[in-house]
Amino acid sequence: MKINDLSMLDTNRARYEEELTLGKWFKNIWIALSTAFKGMGITMKYVLTVKPVTIEYPEVKEELPANSRSRLFNDVDNCISCMQCADACPVDCIYITAVRRDKEAPKLKTDGGTPIKLDLKQYTIDTALCCYCGLCTVACPTQCLTHTTDYEFAQYTLGEMKYDYLASDIRAWKHRIVK
Amino acid sequence: MHKEFADFINSKVSGANATVVEAEVGDSTVFVEASSILATCEALKDSDFEMNVLQCVTGTDYSDRIEVSYILASFTKNSELILKVKLPKTSSDATVKVDSVCSVWKSANFLERETYDMLGVEFVGHPDHRRILCPEDWEGYPLRKDYKVQEVYNDMVVDPPAKINNGDINFFKEIMDKMGDEKKVAYSWKKEDAGSSDTAQ
Amino acid sequence: MIEINGKPYTGQEQIKSDLLTLNMGPQHPATHGVLRVEIKTDSEIIAQATPYLGYLHRCFEKHVENIDYRGVIPFVDRMDYLASMSMELGYCLTVEKMLGTEIPKRAQYLRTIIAELQRIASHLMFFGTYAIDLGAFSPFLYAFQDREDILRLFEELSGARLLYNYIWLGGVWNDINDDQLRRIEAFCDKMEENLKKYHALVGENKIFISRTANVGVIPVDMAYQYGATGPVLRGSGVNWDLRKTRPYGMYEELDFDVIVGEGLKGQVGDTWDRYYVRMMEMHESIKILRQCLDGIEEGSIMGKVPKVLKVPEGEIYMRTECPRGELGYHLISDGGKTPYRLKVKSSCFTHTSMLPEMAPGMMIADFVAAIGSIDIVLGEVDR
Repeated sequence: MKINDLSMLDTNRARYEEELTLGKWFKNIWIALSTAFKGMGITMKYVLTVKPVTIEYPEVKEELPANSRSRLFNDVDNCISCMQCADACPVDCIYITAVRRDKEAPKLKTDGGTPIKLDLKQYTIDTALCCYCGLCTVACPTQCLTHTTDYEFAQYTLGEMKYDYLASDIRAWKHRIVK
Repeated sequence: MHKEFADFINSKVSGANATVVEAEVGDSTVFVEASSILATCEALKDSDFEMNVLQCVTGTDYSDRIEVSYILASFTKNSELILKVKLPKTSSDATVKVDSVCSVWKSANFLERETYDMLGVEFVGHPDHRRILCPEDWEGYPLRKDYKVQEVYNDMVVDPPAKINNGDINFFKEIMDKMGDEKKVAYSWKKEDAGSSDTAQ
Repeated sequence: MIEINGKPYTGQEQIKSDLLTLNMGPQHPATHGVLRVEIKTDSEIIAQATPYLGYLHRCFEKHVENIDYRGVIPFVDRMDYLASMSMELGYCLTVEKMLGTEIPKRAQYLRTIIAELQRIASHLMFFGTYAIDLGAFSPFLYAFQDREDILRLFEELSGARLLYNYIWLGGVWNDINDDQLRRIEAFCDKMEENLKKYHALVGENKIFISRTANVGVIPVDMAYQYGATGPVLRGSGVNWDLRKTRPYGMYEELDFDVIVGEGLKGQVGDTWDRYYVRMMEMHESIKILRQCLDGIEEGSIMGKVPKVLKVPEGEIYMRTECPRGELGYHLISDGGKTPYRLKVKSSCFTHTSMLPEMAPGMMIADFVAAIGSIDIVLGEVDR
């Protein structure tokens, strides 16, 4: 086995072969002790004066800031099926299918007054793929798609991470977590 | 600025045939012949330009050729230069060859390995010519535009059917069949996705 | 039998031993991620080290070829996840330069504040983990306590703790309020005191000096040969900081010093110098923050960017100074909605290539100190 020109080798080895005199030995001990005690003093100050800052999580829950980007929620009653969220999504995890509304059917409007021209048949977000970048919520013209501050939604299977926002149990979140 | 570089290269290296591509937006580049890249780099490093750092070696795949860019910088003169060579491409899995500049800058070692790994540019004279980011037995060069992922790697299926989002695809297809008319349905699915496997990876 | 410069290398002369192959990593805490270094040791002395990369390779460059320019920002976040804001800033500056977008003054100030806070957060992370590498535990806790203040502020501004997607093409996402500005001011005062304490606790400690001084020396010519940048290059005694030499954004108008390693405890360019450069850089960042807090003015935070983004045909190479070194984006556009090619020049990647030359002759424990001192993040190495 052959190693090429290694300029660092000599520098590195020299360090372990430094000569040690008696004076140096005592000086080393003195510097080591004094700096160690100085450090201990600083640590001691922390022990005595600084209060614990950790949150004991399951018992105490952290309140996230209002614009935190956690679980996505789509209020399907206000959705106009414009697909802008799906276009903006960099990981393509939003699946939408909508059907044109019959002309005879009663006219629908969102809370903001935008007419709804498409019937939403499928609005699914695979949150296992979602990267929580927030680009979809910015693109949404009716502000029906929002990030909530709800952060506890671990599941046992990947399938459960897929949220069908037209399902009745998820629709019920509307009164619970929408900010 | 780039004209000076090109003139200097032409005067120092015979057959380099340096040409400047002036850009309206962004950076201008200097093209040289692939056979003279090593001599050009040596000349630039030892010249008054003092190109003492090789910032980056990278490549771009166009359909008929691969362009390898060498981004040089001088930390003493505070200048930078994008030097490029064109290498004609024959097929999607054949490598193209160019001289290694490892003897000029040692940083070229890893950077050229990465370019080989990602684009299949073989650097002749490289001391340690292996893949660096992908595994040794990986096939193909990912950053080529015509790259196709191998289907089975080490007995592992790369795109397993179990991970395809069948539920949602079927739902979408049902609606599509029911309505019959494509114009009546609006959807976020890309056309080629419906039925194929791309979306749900 | 190893040969060095033609002569046989006998190692520790009296004891004959075979070379032992040792895999450090990929799950080694001291490698700061998933780096595997295969080392051949002669008892305790390393004879050869070969880094193996790619455990975190996601082929980000292929990904972005299919994503529009705005959608790339969440992906660049994930490269250096300890300095996401700096990654975003570099990318946005690159695209904005191609577009010729004008950024409002307030957004520029905000970007500078954010970038410098991120630099402090990243260097605090280095300080904490480096102390752990060398056997000191409490500095880690102190550093994280301070870093938490910055992360909390970022969380309030952007909505996320680690992967912000905050700096956008044309400006920034959310505006900052006066209360948050006052908090940054208070943080600067607190941090200045704390940094002195930290340096006394760790940097002046005899044990720490013995572990770091004269270890892993990178001389100037070697640094140039390997294209080292950032604190590693400055630790070797080169006065080179892109914020000074090729100013971008606000940095031209700001007054700060470039910290250069002087070899105070050993040779120029040893690991202690790199530690020192980072610690002192935080003081300079605080200086910049104070100037920005004085200068920040009211106004809009988003410049005019077309809704459907098409970058004109051409190419550009743009470098910015990130906490870990220079980050270069080489963007080639064909005039479409997505980048034709986006190559990232990562400083960590080039720094990793120095390991095979630094390692021979070191003890294994010193090698840990050397890896820690170049402060690599594997997300950026592998991309």
